[in-house]
Amino acid sequence: MSRYIATRAIRGANAIVAEADGLLNKAIAEKGGDFPVAFPNTAYYLPVMYGMLGAEVSTLGQIEPILEHAKNLLHPLPDEQLWTPYLGETLDCGMSTLLAAEAIEAIRFVYGEQPEPYPGLELAGATSFTSPDNGGGPAADGHLNGPIDDIQLRSWGIQLVDGRMPGFAAIIGAAHSNKAAVAIIRELQKRNILTFLTGNVNGRSIIDQLVEEGVEIGYDTYIVPFGRDTISAIYAAGFATRSALTFGGMKGGQWREILLYNKFRVFAFGLALGEVDDLKYATAAGVLSYGFPVIADTIIPEILPTGVTRYEHVISMPWNEIEGKTEEEKAAKLVQKCIEVRGVKIQITEVPIPVPYGSAFEGEVVRRADMRVEFGGKNSRAFEYLLMADKDEVEDGKIELIGPGFEEIEEGGYMNMGIVVEVAGRKMEKDFEPVLERQIHYFVNGASGIQHIGQRDIAWIRISKTAVEKGLTLKHFGDILYARFHGDFGTIVDKVQVKIITEPDLYAEWLEKARAAYDERNVRIGAMTDESVEEFYSCTLCQSFAPDHVCVVSPQRLGLCGAYNWLDCKASFQINPTGPNQPIRKGQCLDPVKGYFVGVNDYAKSGSHGSVEMVAMYSIMENPMTACGCFECIMMVIPEANGFMIVSREDTSMTPAGMTFSTLAGMAGGGLQTPGVMGIGKFYIISPKFIPADGGFKRVVWMSSIFKEQMAEQLKQVAEREGDPDLIDKIADERICTDVEGLLKHLQEKGHPALTMESLL
Amino acid sequence: MALSGLEIYKLLPQTNCKDCNYPTCLAFAMKLAAKQAALKDCPHVSEEAKIKLEAASAPPIALVTIQGGEGEVQVGNETVLFRHEKTFFHRPGLFWRLRDNDDIDELKRKAAEADAYTVDYVGIDLHLDGFAVEAASSDPAAFSAAVSAISSVSKKPLILLAPTADLAKAGLEATNGARPLLYAADQDNWETMADVAKQAGTPLAVRADTLEALADLTQKLKQAGVEELVLDPEVSGYLDSLERLTTLRRLALKKTFRPLGYPIITFPGTNGEIDETLLAAEHIAKYGGLIVLEEFNPASLYALLVLRQNIYTNPQKPIQVQPGVYEINSPDKDSPLMVTTNFSITYFSVANEIEGSGRPGWLLVTDSEGMSVLTAWAAGKFDAERVAKDAKAFNVEEKVSHHKVIIPGHVAVISGELEEEMPGWEIMVGPREAVDITSYLKAMWPN
Amino acid sequence: MTIEIPKEKWTGSVCEVTFGATADEGGTRSRTLTVGGETAMPFLHFEGVTPNPPALALEIRDRKPDDWSPLLHQAWGEAMEDPGEWAKAAETAGADMIYLALSLTTADGEPNTPENARAVVRKVLQASGLPLAVAGPGQAEVDNQLLVPVAEEAEGERLLLGICEDKNYRTIVAAALAHNHLVQSKTPMDVNLSKQLVILIHDMGLPLERIIMDPTTGALGYGFEYGYSVMERLRLAAFQGDSMTQQPMLVNPGFETWKVKESKVGEGVPENWGDWDRRAQEWEAITATTLIHSGADILVLRHPESLHRVRTVVDALVNPAATA
Repeated sequence: MSRYIATRAIRGANAIVAEADGLLNKAIAEKGGDFPVAFPNTAYYLPVMYGMLGAEVSTLGQIEPILEHAKNLLHPLPDEQLWTPYLGETLDCGMSTLLAAEAIEAIRFVYGEQPEPYPGLELAGATSFTSPDNGGGPAADGHLNGPIDDIQLRSWGIQLVDGRMPGFAAIIGAAHSNKAAVAIIRELQKRNILTFLTGNVNGRSIIDQLVEEGVEIGYDTYIVPFGRDTISAIYAAGFATRSALTFGGMKGGQWREILLYNKFRVFAFGLALGEVDDLKYATAAGVLSYGFPVIADTIIPEILPTGVTRYEHVISMPWNEIEGKTEEEKAAKLVQKCIEVRGVKIQITEVPIPVPYGSAFEGEVVRRADMRVEFGGKNSRAFEYLLMADKDEVEDGKIELIGPGFEEIEEGGYMNMGIVVEVAGRKMEKDFEPVLERQIHYFVNGASGIQHIGQRDIAWIRISKTAVEKGLTLKHFGDILYARFHGDFGTIVDKVQVKIITEPDLYAEWLEKARAAYDERNVRIGAMTDESVEEFYSCTLCQSFAPDHVCVVSPQRLGLCGAYNWLDCKASFQINPTGPNQPIRKGQCLDPVKGYFVGVNDYAKSGSHGSVEMVAMYSIMENPMTACGCFECIMMVIPEANGFMIVSREDTSMTPAGMTFSTLAGMAGGGLQTPGVMGIGKFYIISPKFIPADGGFKRVVWMSSIFKEQMAEQLKQVAEREGDPDLIDKIADERICTDVEGLLKHLQEKGHPALTMESLL
Repeated sequence: MALSGLEIYKLLPQTNCKDCNYPTCLAFAMKLAAKQAALKDCPHVSEEAKIKLEAASAPPIALVTIQGGEGEVQVGNETVLFRHEKTFFHRPGLFWRLRDNDDIDELKRKAAEADAYTVDYVGIDLHLDGFAVEAASSDPAAFSAAVSAISSVSKKPLILLAPTADLAKAGLEATNGARPLLYAADQDNWETMADVAKQAGTPLAVRADTLEALADLTQKLKQAGVEELVLDPEVSGYLDSLERLTTLRRLALKKTFRPLGYPIITFPGTNGEIDETLLAAEHIAKYGGLIVLEEFNPASLYALLVLRQNIYTNPQKPIQVQPGVYEINSPDKDSPLMVTTNFSITYFSVANEIEGSGRPGWLLVTDSEGMSVLTAWAAGKFDAERVAKDAKAFNVEEKVSHHKVIIPGHVAVISGELEEEMPGWEIMVGPREAVDITSYLKAMWPN
Repeated sequence: MTIEIPKEKWTGSVCEVTFGATADEGGTRSRTLTVGGETAMPFLHFEGVTPNPPALALEIRDRKPDDWSPLLHQAWGEAMEDPGEWAKAAETAGADMIYLALSLTTADGEPNTPENARAVVRKVLQASGLPLAVAGPGQAEVDNQLLVPVAEEAEGERLLLGICEDKNYRTIVAAALAHNHLVQSKTPMDVNLSKQLVILIHDMGLPLERIIMDPTTGALGYGFEYGYSVMERLRLAAFQGDSMTQQPMLVNPGFETWKVKESKVGEGVPENWGDWDRRAQEWEAITATTLIHSGADILVLRHPESLHRVRTVVDALVNPAATA
């Protein structure tokens, strides 16, 4: 906590509490202690007093104890010499500021000074406020809004709760210029963020600026002018408090619950424009208690550590130092910063491109005859590379085409292209890069007239003539990726920027970078071991078929369906924390060879609803992992051969077990532990953690020939790892034999190591 | 603790002789471990192994077979309390009760009518399982005549409701060598009934109003040499049925309590106050084995047969629909042609929605081995090749003139390949979910 | 020999949920309805309690539906012309709750409006004192557009608002939060999805005492067994202590069975299907009573006679003294 901020906030709080005290004494003297006080058309009494203290204030006299409480919360100024953290003191002063401010506004209502008169202003929708001066009708010559009435609160509240409205901004002060004011407001409107206007700088308020510029303000435009002084910011705190009372089911006096509700559920922030005086510091301190961060467009000390708010507390972003040629560019950056600091998530529902978009177009083929241009394939190359970058290095929504478009290429021609996607996010991890990068295929394919095949540097993209006629350009690839990454991966991605690169030198440079990254990823995945992580992941995607089955996915044992590896599960959990992939703390390792872990056993027990007691991660003979039915392959013990066979889902021939894949499937599936039979994903075969408890890969005596073809290279390496380079040849397949007799003959002829290994049974 | 397949395997001859009808000893061992095979199917197992395996391998609920002139009903051998745990194996038999004091011609007419009753449910033939003939006259000759009469028009299995050994014998002689269920031995007649059953080699039902008395009787009968028994716990209402049948199933499965490890027979229509169909439905869901109905009403029977089919569907082997082209709302050559898989639920949702749309249409149901669209696609059972092959096999070319086919939105990805597999056809991508079919047809198939 | 009933020892139980509010509780209902609270599989009184019998609701519409079976038109007659009259008739028929489903369009084919929805709900609330459920027509945008004003109109009545689904629940939940109602959380026959949606709704701040799970059922013969097993599994999970599966379950056999051919069509069907009226009623009643055995706490039905038959079964199962 900055001593500077603490000092000024505490000074501001002392001043306003004193002011409120004076006003209250005067009001009671003039009107009497029983004189009623209320904000019109609202429930919950004076809401901050009710929410924080449980006080049901309806008369002037009842405010007295509240102000006493506010005084008790005040602290002396920090010592010049002694440096202490101050945060607690500052927040206390913030709270006393809010109580005092609410008292002042309530008293102003008593005197008819609220809502604040604003001659000539016509609000576009406002609280139905009746003025005594106008015979019960609306005030004749204009006024600001004052507190938001209950009907509006519920209507907006529903939108805030269901996410259509991402959050609200409370602006205090006045912008650098009228143009800047309008630019900031437009940026907020664009994102559907509700905006409250309060305060002034040297007598000039952002309200004045907007009115001068002819901006419509009122409920209908989601811009609510509370008042031209800082005190009116209390209506924002009141709105937040009433939201928690209405939507969070809280009762008056549950101050802690109300503040936490706002911290975790109401995505609001304060934006201080222009010079920040003592009262603004004090008010900001009050706002912080709600978990709302404050961003200033002037130089003030920052409070970066998180705690009371989710991320940073106070951020300074001086207007003059914001990069940007125009006020609009600066405003965009300022608002983007606010959104980041509060963690507001933006929804993008439509992909803005000139051709139809949707999953219906995913499988569309663009034939050569219909093709306008292609990237990759026989004559050229296309690559795609997604990388994580620091959030300050990524400008959200920036889409660049670097180099020429395809306009100059002849019809049916080709060119080189690279797609580089840079993402940043507080929850983004380097390991998610490949998971997200693979999505590019699906995202791009959704556009009618684009065909996408492959990935990494063997991507192959075609664009149809029709799509180009409709106006599709390379830049639209960026639009697609921007919208879809935000839409589908918004929980881990905060910012996305896309470069489409055709300029030859830069293309070559980025291709090299991408290839280096691909290699690095390969090495990293290869090096990732079960020992190197603390958590495995569960996968219950298939429980609808096998209710008691749970997959445990570790770095060295992918899901039996072959579709989910450990990284996929990890990313899936980040994206969907309540989804089918949940982290399993490994806990104590009970047996490193068989792969027993305390956490895995506990999970298996609960996940299988008690039907499985223990799971050995690395054995088929003892407590093997269960299977649903979607395994890529089945392995089964062949007792006669003292080893295992592995049959592929794609192999329909007979096996030495005397059963085909489909008969075996009935035995391996269903979520039952059947020692000796197990469903697995095919890449588990080449893992160093492939059944070490039962002798490892050397125990494989028969496998469907399709593995030998599809994974020739990897199997060769495994054979070498096992110290028997000819091992693959020694393993029989369905072309060699489909019965035990034939199998034994083959194994003996070739001298398969399993024959001389320790007996399996 | 039950033995695992591997442990059982160690005790088997390990000769892979296949005399048990399983390909290998290990496969047989695994079936034994899953309680889906009986040790007696292995003729070569040693005595020593037999003793060790007996306890672990005998199914906790005995299998009972009732044979008619043609066809048989098997009940029992259940291994779970809830169908999702594995499956319910043997559908309860539904029998119609006829009485020997009815006019013989009337009996024949009734039996013939019920015998001929059959309904088609997704390509499966559903029918009544047999008749329970009651010796209501207490006259052996009349009973014999009634059984003969019924046997002359129906070859379905029979249950002989004969309270005495004489009656039972009379009925048995009239069945022409079939293997009916004798009903029933009780505290008073069990010895003579046991003799009859043993001599004829038929299963025997046991009746008592407490579980203790039932267990007592079954043990005596077993000692007397009758192995195939059926329990009648004399339930008559919704709640006592639920409690007693649940208790019986739990005792058999959880406690391996052999004296009550037999299938159960119930008579849901005997209590006149009770809605027979709804009680029979409860017995189907909750552990009934043989269900004897008072009333033969096609509408109710159809519903009960379908319920039985549903409850006894193996959760891991979903009901499949016969592949082919289905006509919905009398389509003609201009009607849309849609494709889906033969997983019953998928078929029902799609067919129902087309029907509900009020528009005529053709539905090509491909052979996807009973998988839903996405699962089948992932498993390669619903790819372009398969769709094209079935389109050809079922002659869609001759049904429609427009050469357009609508595929499910979830497999949009196959549209390109399918274009190649079905030259000259336009591949249209339909909605992902069946509920959107109506609006899709409205938008994409005007008229 | 004495034989003991093998009993299960469960640690969890089903959450109790109460609909409707009487004048004392801020509403205008003549009584409230509480479901849930079971501590054992359905009606196994020897090992647990069933404090509240399964409730039977009757579905009515905001206007006479175009696509209901003629058998239902016969059964309800004139009452279908007016939602208020229909609600009264449903109460007379013995329903514990009225399940009002709003239509996509008005009788003249115009889109339904918030004003109309409010008016119908007001009318039904005035016509019958039973607790009320209100479901949208099932299209996200329209549902939200209609249910938010309905929630406001019926403030204090503790309605059950439906239908929250994976793709559209936030607005309905927000409306329930704002006006103190309950919600129906519906997922397509899957234990994990069911659980997940309850978690998501609960995460928005709605207490578990205000969430009902609808795991979805199929009609007899039309995927019935899937829903049946999913319900058994959810209920077993609840007893095993999985707190996000402990919501009472609502299923809608009325909706499911009356759309299948067996109930809808009387002519041109196989003769062995038997009498149409009887078949249709068996279809609804058997689907409903069998679902009771898999743990249903609320069944939404359409035919008054089915309700009567299912009621008889429920009464016998709930009350041990009622059967000998």
